[in-house]
Amino acid sequence: MTSAETVQIMGPMLGLVVGQQTLEHLADRSLRALLALRLVLCGMLILGLYPALATWGLFAYGIALLHRFDGPYNGGSDKMTMLILACLSAFYIAPSPLWQDMALSYLAVQLVLSYFVSGYIKIINQEWRTGQALQDVFLFSAYPVSTSLRGFATHPRLLWGMSWAVMGFEVLFPLTLMHSTALLFGLLVAAAFHLTNACLFGLNRFFWIWICAYPSLIWFQDRIIG
Amino acid sequence: MLFKTINLLLPVLLPSWRFFKTVAASPRVEVRVTIDGHTSDWVCSHPEPDHIGLGAMIARLFWNPQRNNKLYMVSLSERLAEAETKHSTQELARLVGATLSGREGAFEYRLLFLQRDGKKIIRFLEYQSPLLPIGKGAA
Repeated sequence: MTSAETVQIMGPMLGLVVGQQTLEHLADRSLRALLALRLVLCGMLILGLYPALATWGLFAYGIALLHRFDGPYNGGSDKMTMLILACLSAFYIAPSPLWQDMALSYLAVQLVLSYFVSGYIKIINQEWRTGQALQDVFLFSAYPVSTSLRGFATHPRLLWGMSWAVMGFEVLFPLTLMHSTALLFGLLVAAAFHLTNACLFGLNRFFWIWICAYPSLIWFQDRIIG
Repeated sequence: MLFKTINLLLPVLLPSWRFFKTVAASPRVEVRVTIDGHTSDWVCSHPEPDHIGLGAMIARLFWNPQRNNKLYMVSLSERLAEAETKHSTQELARLVGATLSGREGAFEYRLLFLQRDGKKIIRFLEYQSPLLPIGKGAA
């Protein structure tokens, strides 16, 4: 798969994901006028019409929304959305195939770092190693989507196991780059991890946008190692 | 404008990815209304449901605007606790006020934070808004 083919796959995926984010924003009446054109740009990406123009337009919209919300509206998922848009925008204006590859590689490396750094900063923290941190997430953080889920806080052994499963997966994720089958398996586990977070903590945007970046990593593994 | 754009873009283009480094103090937004001289008790502005079934969880993968607004309120509360800004206070007032539309009177909101202190979970008041008219700036 070439970098151009990878971007062709990612464009419609990105259009769908940003379109879903935009429709959610439209529930807020104060944003409707601002976001109508954004839906048109998403449609262009989905249909493959002027993808470079649509990508640049969505990147400009992303900057406007950063100003509107004085930072990311939805934390990490907005950061990943903008990162993908920035890398694809750079891809479209890159002066040569080498620079196109560099733009896509940057996204792939950031995707790997999103798992590895997140796991590393947990594993060096005693509260995460003992399971206390995940217990606190369920006990008093704002993240569980319902009161009944807070009951997980009364199962410390389960949470200890879950903590180590998450940390282990995250820090070992870079090793999946060694083989294409390992990477596909790693991405399936990662998607399941995001799906769990979406169900338990309501982080639905993370699930879709991280999947959207996966083709860049599949291309990267094939280009660099495969 | 350019400086602010760079400030907003840099953490996006060079993300730290330090999700859940620690479980920090966690905000709760509470509201009380004053109507005809009577002031209510403080109640949670956006209460969490008792239970969400699997079907609803799956549906929320595709349509979850209320939850994402609530996560935005968490971000705003954390920003406000770090440094009070007009944007954070106004946005919180707008989102809290939106839940009160249809009433006439005034409201206040406050930010409580929950935090682990040894074996206990403690609550402390971080911010309390002035009295605000209901309906002004509601989404």
